[in-house]
Amino acid sequence: MDMQKDTIYLDNGASTKTDKKVLEAMKPYMFETYAVATSDFAYTMGIEAKEALNEAREKIAKELKGGSQEIIFTSCATESNNLALKGVAEKGDGDHIVISKIEDFPVLNTAKTLEKRGFDVTYLDVDEKGFVDIEQLKDSLKDETVLVSIQHGNQEIGTLQDVEKIAKICEEEDVLYHTDATHTFGRLPIDVSKVPMDLVTVSPHTIHGPRGTAALYIREGTPIKKQMDGGFQENNMRAGVENIPGAVGFAEAVDLIDEEENERIRKMRDDLIKGITSDIPDTVLNGPEKERTPQNANITFQYVEGESITLHLDMRGIAVSTGSACFSKSLEASHVILGIGGDHERAHGSVRFTFGRFNNEEQVDKVIKDTSEVIERLREISPLSKKEE
Amino acid sequence: MSGTKRVDVLGETCPVPLVETRKAIRKSSPGDIIDVVGNHPESKEEISMAVDELGLELLDIEEEGGNWTVKIKIPEDR
Repeated sequence: MDMQKDTIYLDNGASTKTDKKVLEAMKPYMFETYAVATSDFAYTMGIEAKEALNEAREKIAKELKGGSQEIIFTSCATESNNLALKGVAEKGDGDHIVISKIEDFPVLNTAKTLEKRGFDVTYLDVDEKGFVDIEQLKDSLKDETVLVSIQHGNQEIGTLQDVEKIAKICEEEDVLYHTDATHTFGRLPIDVSKVPMDLVTVSPHTIHGPRGTAALYIREGTPIKKQMDGGFQENNMRAGVENIPGAVGFAEAVDLIDEEENERIRKMRDDLIKGITSDIPDTVLNGPEKERTPQNANITFQYVEGESITLHLDMRGIAVSTGSACFSKSLEASHVILGIGGDHERAHGSVRFTFGRFNNEEQVDKVIKDTSEVIERLREISPLSKKEE
Repeated sequence: MSGTKRVDVLGETCPVPLVETRKAIRKSSPGDIIDVVGNHPESKEEISMAVDELGLELLDIEEEGGNWTVKIKIPEDR
């Protein structure tokens, strides 16, 4: 029996529906120009493939206001983050790195791996809205610090860090700065010509591009060690046959970025937060009201479990995610909600709604109505709710 | 061909009984009957709620000594 209805997909923070224009842009590099990128001394198809790859690189560089030689294609944002942290750590002449406690798993767990290899890692605290403690950051920097990695926008609660301030502090202290911009690239401007970021992780999977491709911006001259050994691809920084359809699709996704769309997404998000928090009692908005990624709303519904909410919303054709333990592959409550000082109950009742291109206002109204009904019914049967009475 | 399936979630608590019930529903055919047997009180309520949300038929809820059986019918026209 098929339980799928016309799904209202609000898990765009995890991955987005590929835009048909993206797929159309990719197809010729699967069926016509399918050769590897070759040098100019090889056959025509290979030269054309190389030109397509470089054109894609230029478009992504332009969006970041960087140079095309500074873009290294990878297989995913996780790989980009691994390359940034391990690559700099192995090349640098210190043994200390700094990250925040609420980084996404690719940065968090790469830092833990480096810790096992003997690196000293400082995990910066965040306040109740998820902002990094800037004074603690300044105090943490020392002669041995080789890298600071603090994300741009948080994956769960959307908090936007003051990356400009952080980058300047790092520049003044002569420490390299990496930011994971997976959840902001394409939704908010990033300008490496003005903000002294040395490494930036970007990915098309959150902006209706393909999965299986991403990139790392590496400022020219940044000391970094290649992590994927093999051939000499990607300026000898990342070996492996290039994913040219992926790169072309990535560039097309960047071409489709539209400021009006970002505003539309922001408005839907605001309407959802307003509707839910005014219609449903005992709700808490996780993360800041304003300085958050345009697509993200994260709300804790007291006295109910996030898994139950996601399951019942799914049965009404609404796809969302939760920071509750059973939902996560780690079977642990969200480290982000715990990081902002929330308790396990707050994490277990948290639901993330993330918007994208294919959502509309009509869906927002339905989600508010259905969420309200689901929460009311779940609270009627919740032992947590009864305990409070 | 329709038939009767049994989902045993005795000893399981939320959200496992609902998750297992949904798995059985997803694999069912029109006309099937699913008997969900458990003992977690809130799950009984939650499964009844899910039956309503999915437009299925709640045939009966039997209770005996703390255990319950929720009988669900998958409509012929699904």
